[in-house]
Amino acid sequence: MKEVRIDCMHEICPIPLLKAMKELKKMAKGEILVLETNHSCSIANVVEWAKKQGHNVDYMEVSEGEWEIYIEK
Amino acid sequence: MSSKIEELKKRRKKEFKKKKNQTHYGLILMVLALGIYFFLLVKGISYSSFWIIGLFIGFVLQKSRFCFTSSFRDFIMVGNTALFKAIIIAFMISTIGFAIVQYMNIDDIQNFSIENVVGKIHPVGIHTIIGALMSGIGMVIAGSCASGTLMRIGEGFLLQILVLVGFIIGTLLGANQFQFWDKLLIAQSPTIYFPQHIGFVKSVIIQLIVLAGLYILADWYDKKNNIMSM
Repeated sequence: MKEVRIDCMHEICPIPLLKAMKELKKMAKGEILVLETNHSCSIANVVEWAKKQGHNVDYMEVSEGEWEIYIEK
Repeated sequence: MSSKIEELKKRRKKEFKKKKNQTHYGLILMVLALGIYFFLLVKGISYSSFWIIGLFIGFVLQKSRFCFTSSFRDFIMVGNTALFKAIIIAFMISTIGFAIVQYMNIDDIQNFSIENVVGKIHPVGIHTIIGALMSGIGMVIAGSCASGTLMRIGEGFLLQILVLVGFIIGTLLGANQFQFWDKLLIAQSPTIYFPQHIGFVKSVIIQLIVLAGLYILADWYDKKNNIMSM
């Protein structure tokens, strides 16, 4: 299982979402995108968008104020 | 939920050490907040209620990850109108709420002046459009609106402190330049208050119908965008 990691630390909305969209386009079906962020509202932003696109998506707080968002293409 | 993501989450969980317990900080803050509340209760009753309402609004804003910026930006950028619809519903609720408060505070329904109506009723004109455009550009660049900035500073997102400095400079400049705008545009624009022209019940009903129409439009736009992207 291949996973692609993108670093969106210290980036504000909507940059994480734009980066995720760009990266997902390049990926093959079944691969997982891991998005690292510390901007709490981009969770709502990215997860909402990914759900609407029909991707499997989930997130987890990996450290205080830092999250990883997992999107399966 | 996909098994792949579950697997990845399990693996990542093992790689991180346990988070520090922050309960005692929370308790200290709660005692502090209550202390300020009682202090304000003695000093001035209205400040104490503002304090409590402010705390609750901040709490809801943070927990719900509600973002005014995202509500207006995302339906243009990615065609997502979920938050935009939430704002329309908030408008509907406040329309009814304000109508009740204003109706109860006016003595003579047939003949009243706008100055006696509760709430902020201001002239509408070109300055409304200029202001909306400026704040729209500002909040997308800054990544948050006024309430979002304060909420995220509290969360510890340090970039927003920079935004707050800009916000204060902007507010001061605005107050400083207000007379210029007032002379140029605001004083010449009419103040329109619908209940004065068509009555209370009619204007509330019309406003609710318009908002419902916008809601349906936003919902349709959301679905249409979804189909296009598939």
